Amino acid sequence: MDFFPNLITALSVAFQPANLFYCFVGVFLGTLIGVLPGLGPAGAMSILLPLTFKMPAASAIIMMAGIYYGAMYGGSTTSILINIPGEAASVVTTIDGYQMALQGRAGPALGIAAFGSFIAGTLGIVGLQLLSPPMVAIALRFGPPEYFSLMILGLVILTYLTQKSILKALLMAGVGILLGMVGLDNITGKPRFTMGIPKFMDGIGLIPLIMGLLGVSEVLANVEKRIYREVRKTPIHHLLPSRKDWGQSKGAILRGSVLGFFLGILPGGGAILASFVSYAIEKRTSRTPERFGKGAIEGVAGPESANNAAASGAFIPLLTLGIPSNVLMAILIGALMIHGINPGPMLMKEHPDVFWGVIGSMYVGNVMLLALNLPLIGIWVRILRIPHSVLFPLILLFCVIGAYSENYSVIDVNMMLLFGVIGYLMRKFDYEPAPLVLAFVLGPLMETALRQSLIMSDGGLTIFFTRSISAGCLLVAAVLLLTSFIPSLMKKRDLVLEEET
Amino acid sequence: MYADRLSSLFWLLLGLIAIYGSVKLGIGGVREPGSGFLPLLASLSISLIALIILLQTFVKAAKSDRTFSSLWQGLRWKRSLSVCIITLGYTLIFEKLGFALSTFIFLMTLLKGVESIAWAKVLLISVLSTGLCYLLLSFSLESTLPKGILGF
Repeated sequence: MDFFPNLITALSVAFQPANLFYCFVGVFLGTLIGVLPGLGPAGAMSILLPLTFKMPAASAIIMMAGIYYGAMYGGSTTSILINIPGEAASVVTTIDGYQMALQGRAGPALGIAAFGSFIAGTLGIVGLQLLSPPMVAIALRFGPPEYFSLMILGLVILTYLTQKSILKALLMAGVGILLGMVGLDNITGKPRFTMGIPKFMDGIGLIPLIMGLLGVSEVLANVEKRIYREVRKTPIHHLLPSRKDWGQSKGAILRGSVLGFFLGILPGGGAILASFVSYAIEKRTSRTPERFGKGAIEGVAGPESANNAAASGAFIPLLTLGIPSNVLMAILIGALMIHGINPGPMLMKEHPDVFWGVIGSMYVGNVMLLALNLPLIGIWVRILRIPHSVLFPLILLFCVIGAYSENYSVIDVNMMLLFGVIGYLMRKFDYEPAPLVLAFVLGPLMETALRQSLIMSDGGLTIFFTRSISAGCLLVAAVLLLTSFIPSLMKKRDLVLEEET
Repeated sequence: MYADRLSSLFWLLLGLIAIYGSVKLGIGGVREPGSGFLPLLASLSISLIALIILLQTFVKAAKSDRTFSSLWQGLRWKRSLSVCIITLGYTLIFEKLGFALSTFIFLMTLLKGVESIAWAKVLLISVLSTGLCYLLLSFSLESTLPKGILGF
């Protein structure tokens, strides 16, 4: 087992002063974003992506990863204290977390959320470290047909798990692929859908697209709503859970860790799904299910552990296959590409500082997060009191600066604003932006894999079905798609989603 | 008009235009796919799904379907519109007036025009935020910001 030598390599990269600093900045910003309702981790990561342009690649990815798993920690604070989830993966935490706060038990709720997150996050990283090298070995055997089929499966799972219409999610995936095709064709050099605009020759920029669709659109959607936030005035004490609290939570934390980790690996899965499933399992396996919804500590411990473990698991397909399992990982792929790094099985060999640096920084970041989220809880509560009216102009300012600083071009800013308006309208008409963004990132990769596969097979489509991994992926994708259109199963799926939300 | 009907018509139109564009690019064959091969598959999917959604709006009981105007009912949509216009204005003056002056004007307009915050607070937040961003971007991140007429 290379566990300890790998751990030393990982920590030696993570403990470099610059990486430690960026790891702290990442987890700090992540917690801040998690705490602030109205800006999710995807929007925030897209806004902050331009900050990484001047950094070394390892530091950049360490910071972006820190924002991602930091947001998972911070999201519980608002769920517990003001009944508003800081990000989607903390939606279920509101159910029992807020009830605990109402009963004067905000301290233990925040405490178990932080400890559960720490334990699950750390176990998740151990799993990530253990599974990544063998996964890389398997991934090296993947050819273009396997990649193509796996990407199809990822897109299908993401659309299947959408909380809105599957048809609309599939449509968005199609639009994402189409947008990804804008620019010069890599193989023939032919300009595609550029409408004669020279700027489009390089394709649509990832930064303006994701900042617009995920960041600006969120601002535009929130600014028209009245956002009320009533922070619990009761003093937050007893952050360290009691022996009884631990007794009730330990099983939920362990189950949440394992479940979250494996759901995180699943393409299209991730932290949101993990937290919902964990809550459902805790409720169904509990001897006293009637306590759920009335302040059961397991209802906080399970989902919060699951979403943090999922955050670690989600790195496996990214670091080993170069395939993003969700939209947040798609942004991280964007960050890697901006630094000239092609994510995939060769990442561990060609850029060990990035590969092991991210893993090592996650161990360190988890400890930082525990310190940030428990002793400093008072600061986050004070930040919660900053009115949205002051926050949104600053968020917009960051968006503009971010879009501008990629190429120092106002056209990029206007593109971002255009995508912001499109994203705002998409939200209105119930079209989710996540499948579009994921398909936009995957589109060019899919096209290359498809073309290579067809050339390999001399024009036969059977290559996708004669290779076992590829056939397996396509079969699962087909089953999911077919079942999603069977009315009785559709009803069941909607019921589950309704129950979960 | 029902929201889904309107949106599906839009996507159907976009899909059809994209099919035309893909065919013009050259689809090639399965043996040697052309530049328009995957775009054609994507635009065919878009058109087909949009058509299904459109047909659903006629077949399904429409009572739960939302109308176009109901999407903005009870919401302060003019604020979103104002934010868009102000941000667009910001992009127009960004390079001409320079980062510092244009950002100060942008923040002040949003805080006062959209949110009606007291002048003293508006000035304080605008000056502090502009100054901090300028320092952070110019020195720490070595970002090149437009200098404009003020020279900074």
